[in-house]
Amino acid sequence: MPLDFSVAPGALAVLGGDHAGAFPWLSVSILMPIVAGLLIPFIPDPGDGKTIRWYALGVALLTFLVTVGAYLNGYDPSEAGLQLIERVEWLPDLGLAWSVGADGLSMPLILLTSFITALAVLAAWPVTFKPRLFFFLILAMDGGQIAVFAVQDMLLFFLAWELELLPVYLLLAIWGAKKRQYAATKFILYTAGGSVFILLAALAMGFQGGGPPSFEYTALAAKDFGTRFELLAYAGLLIAFGVKLPIVPLHTWLPDAHGEATAPVHMLLAGILLKMGGYALLRFNVQLLPAAHAQFAPLLVVLGVVNIIYAALTSFAQRNLKRKIAYSSISHMGFVLIGIGSFSALGTSGAMLQMVSHGLIGASLFFLVGATYDRTHTLQLDEMGGVGQKMRKMFALWTVCSLASLALPGMSGFVSELMVFVGFVTSEAYSLSFRIVMAGLAAVGVILTPIYLLSMLREIFFGKENPELAAHNTQLVDAEPREIYVISCLLVPIIGIGLYPRIVTDTYRASIEALVLREQSVMARVLSPPENGLIRNAQPVEWMAPALLQAPALG
Amino acid sequence: MTSASELAWLIPVLPLLGAALIGLSLISFNRTINRLRKPVAVFLISCVGAAAVLSYAVLIEQIGGAPPTEVLFDWASAGSFNLQMGFRVDALGAVMLALVTTIAVLVMVYSDGYMAHDKSYVRFFTYLALFSSSMLGLVISPNLLEIYVFWELVGMSSYLLIGFWYDRDGAANAAQKAFVVNRVGDFGLLLGILGLFWATGSFGFEDIGLRLSQALADGSVSHPAAVILCLLVFMGPMAKSAQFPLHVWLPDAMEGPTPISALIHAATMVAAGVFLVARLQPIYIQFEEVQAFIAVIGTITCFLGASIALTQMDLKKGLAYSTVSQLGYMVLAMGCGAPVAGMFHLVTHAFFKAMLFLCSGSVIHAMEEVVGHEPVLAQDMRLMGGLRKHMPVTATTFLIGCVAISGIPPLAGFWSKDEILGQAFNAFPLLWAVGFLTAGMTAFYMFRLYFLTFEGPFRGTDAALKAQVLADAGRVAMEEEGQEGHGQHASVPHESGWQMAAPLAVLAVPSVLIGLLGTPWNNRFANLLDPSEAAEMAEQFSWGDFLPLAGASVVISLTGITVAVLAYSLHKLDLATAVAGRFPRLNAFLANKWYLDDINDRIFVKGSRKLARQVLEVDAKVVDGVVNLTGLLTLGSGEGLKYFETGRAQFYALIVFGGVIALVVLFSSF
Repeated sequence: MPLDFSVAPGALAVLGGDHAGAFPWLSVSILMPIVAGLLIPFIPDPGDGKTIRWYALGVALLTFLVTVGAYLNGYDPSEAGLQLIERVEWLPDLGLAWSVGADGLSMPLILLTSFITALAVLAAWPVTFKPRLFFFLILAMDGGQIAVFAVQDMLLFFLAWELELLPVYLLLAIWGAKKRQYAATKFILYTAGGSVFILLAALAMGFQGGGPPSFEYTALAAKDFGTRFELLAYAGLLIAFGVKLPIVPLHTWLPDAHGEATAPVHMLLAGILLKMGGYALLRFNVQLLPAAHAQFAPLLVVLGVVNIIYAALTSFAQRNLKRKIAYSSISHMGFVLIGIGSFSALGTSGAMLQMVSHGLIGASLFFLVGATYDRTHTLQLDEMGGVGQKMRKMFALWTVCSLASLALPGMSGFVSELMVFVGFVTSEAYSLSFRIVMAGLAAVGVILTPIYLLSMLREIFFGKENPELAAHNTQLVDAEPREIYVISCLLVPIIGIGLYPRIVTDTYRASIEALVLREQSVMARVLSPPENGLIRNAQPVEWMAPALLQAPALG
Repeated sequence: MTSASELAWLIPVLPLLGAALIGLSLISFNRTINRLRKPVAVFLISCVGAAAVLSYAVLIEQIGGAPPTEVLFDWASAGSFNLQMGFRVDALGAVMLALVTTIAVLVMVYSDGYMAHDKSYVRFFTYLALFSSSMLGLVISPNLLEIYVFWELVGMSSYLLIGFWYDRDGAANAAQKAFVVNRVGDFGLLLGILGLFWATGSFGFEDIGLRLSQALADGSVSHPAAVILCLLVFMGPMAKSAQFPLHVWLPDAMEGPTPISALIHAATMVAAGVFLVARLQPIYIQFEEVQAFIAVIGTITCFLGASIALTQMDLKKGLAYSTVSQLGYMVLAMGCGAPVAGMFHLVTHAFFKAMLFLCSGSVIHAMEEVVGHEPVLAQDMRLMGGLRKHMPVTATTFLIGCVAISGIPPLAGFWSKDEILGQAFNAFPLLWAVGFLTAGMTAFYMFRLYFLTFEGPFRGTDAALKAQVLADAGRVAMEEEGQEGHGQHASVPHESGWQMAAPLAVLAVPSVLIGLLGTPWNNRFANLLDPSEAAEMAEQFSWGDFLPLAGASVVISLTGITVAVLAYSLHKLDLATAVAGRFPRLNAFLANKWYLDDINDRIFVKGSRKLARQVLEVDAKVVDGVVNLTGLLTLGSGEGLKYFETGRAQFYALIVFGGVIALVVLFSSF
């Protein structure tokens, strides 16, 4: 994406406070897909869903263009603060306002959301069962997810977070595979259970300190909550967002949900839903509760390492293709946790990039899983084998995406993981031994990831064709142009970021640097005296110590 | 006027563009592009050829005394950190550039003949160009970070090319093994690079060396820590350059097409490790322990490879173990603090080993016409013999290669190997003794290969022998019956076409002559890489020191050759009864490759599978079990939301969160 500085005057006008004349980019990108989705029942359709597909694709593309427009016309990447602000008083007595805006934390994810959703609609081409409802739900999710990233009010955030739950539940429960009811129920219980904490924390934070309640991030950020309160709120939010990210052991909804979902839903789950957890951690836990973050950060790092190794091992043992990739997602999200806990601009920036990168790579892999399932009608690796003989293009696409996932240089995953590694290792916040052990363990993932991904490729594509597969009378047709197109759309940014990561990192650099600066200054204040090994003396590390000494047993 | 050095970035970019263009067309217009075989081959060869021309221009500039060129740009940045990328051209890099492009072009020409009947001809050339690009990128990398990037990329190319015939189980397994074993090395390399960056704040070779010695002096980095970091980094070269115990992937990698074995697994990629160690000399030179460790690893590898090569019956596997052994020599040189000697052996070895592999490819190609497209048969020397009459060019060049690698003056191998042994003699006399013994073994096994393949009667039509070879490989003879129908065209092998013969002849020239650039009294090679060292060498040179050592080397080589002649040409000596019969254990030990593959399989492959299964079980039964149990006890499936309204949700979530602790406890019990 070229950084178009020629639009700067326009951006300034928007920032100037009085934005009566400015186009409400974000509100439009949130509301348009939802409203357009509501219109679906009135679309004439002969019954095969063809018009609806095209309509949904058009809306999704338009939404994507609107978000791109927002980025180009109202967003200045060199600005750390909030931009594209739109504010309408809603319930002034409750302090509730329709308040949206974007900064470096949200802008890349907003773009990612509308981009992946457009591709998911394209991936949903073969859906013929209840197409009206299906595409309505996808479009509703599009708006809901953009809202999650764009709203600037914690109660609104809660609403948006919940709003996105319902479509996912229905998409799982209606279009899923055999165990769909179980998976959908599990998903809704887990996430709803987590959401309770968001609501509690939001209310508590809003009312804290007396005076008229306010839930806007800016107001919350200005408050001084007191350490004990912060710790409590942080712990609650960590559970809520840990379910979403997911953090081991709150992850077990994910393999089930992913295992049962259809390919397009899959892409959305892996591509965007997981990122809501990472975004929220940065937005609330780090930005609003920095004092607690200083105490909790080592826990995040430990959990990140556990995620990487634990999920990589479970992925290796999995015999079901979808669940295998699902676990690999969990493993990759571990890097986000380490990055967030790293107290360094490079590491946090890497976490952000890992979210974008995994959004692209995860979506591409899950799309390929769906496309492969359409042909083999099985997801059991034992029943596949030698598929590469007939599906050579599919083989090539799988190979490229798997290599991207195992962080091959030249692709985005490598850059983000490297940034997390370098950021964490050079971080002054942790004691040297902690850094050595954690970096060493996280690097075990470097060995484990190719083991499970390459053995997966080996079992699907290499060798002689499995006679059972041939006996089942399966049609191993090679990739069709639509599928190649979807994957290419994902690969262009994956490779683009891999070659020159600054096209993405520069869009959020200022915000991340401001965030980390705040983090570091608060940490220095909280954990005084500011000498070496600040965090070692902090309370969480002491009760964490046994955990991090035990984890190496895995290596 | 811009100098060639400033355009050096084009050297990897040209082949990359070619590979990308053809790769994209393969996905988009598969049929069309697969029909355009020759144009694609010519196009990609010209891409690499252009890179070769540019490389030679760079080399000529460097010979002319041009200063090193380095260009950097900010690649990724956040806060005050900048990760830089760019390129750097100096004498060492220029030599490697010229070497890699030369061999790459020759191998590509050769492949046109070798892969002529393969349905994936175009894909093969694309991969070749991709590999060349990554390897050239590695060579011009200005810092460790960029080295790591291309390091991984050459690993990927190697993975793709080993698994090129992906319908063969052997190839599929070998490709995976190669990538994973290399990742084990990369694990160390990555941690080492990160550690060095933490210690010095730099990725540049000289910077790290300089700042590390400063940090050591002012005590901010302890000596053991620095040693550990150096050893971690060395894990990368150990895997890539097939050093003990991470060499296990290289012999298996011979499942790939033979031109690949020549280019990647003999001449260029496996040498990347040695090249990296040479680049890291400013760092390693400060630590004697590290140097000694490197030298010992090199010596073990050198001896191990040669000893296993003694009993190999597969022509390519024999050459592969020979490569392992020769790489050991190069690493030994690095450990002796003589990077120039190591690099010189790298260069000479690249030429003659590439030639030997291409010869073996030519033999296999010819054998396939007789015994069918079955690698087990086509590569087994028991079925060869007498090929000299049918394939004079191949036989002659192979013989030249054998003489060169055995260390007979004035051919290339003599000068480079002798220089390494001389350095080892001064630094580590014990290691010199092992290296010296290995030189004799090398001469023996190389001539064993030659005599079994090219002399005596032709055995390829002996059906009983074929059945036995298949049985030894664990194949059923029935399979061979099926192969009989197609694949066999002739009863005698034929010399390969010009595309394959010409590169052999071209490579024979440097195999004979290039050693003369590195004579100890006038070492032009050292003069290019390190003029001060060359001057010192020339000054210290005396015939009195040189002749005894060189004479001893020649004598032991000749001894090895004599034994081989007696055993396999004149049949005066029956080694099967004289040695193998008398020491069956030793024979089995060598035939089973020191049992290293079995140990690996038992401990690492099976162990990791078991661990993974256990973790999955914990996940399914314990972590998920807790969730389901809670669900069953307290929730009817439809009343789920009520539960959350009662306010007991915190309790529920706390149970799950307690799982974190439970998990850690579970981990510790493994």
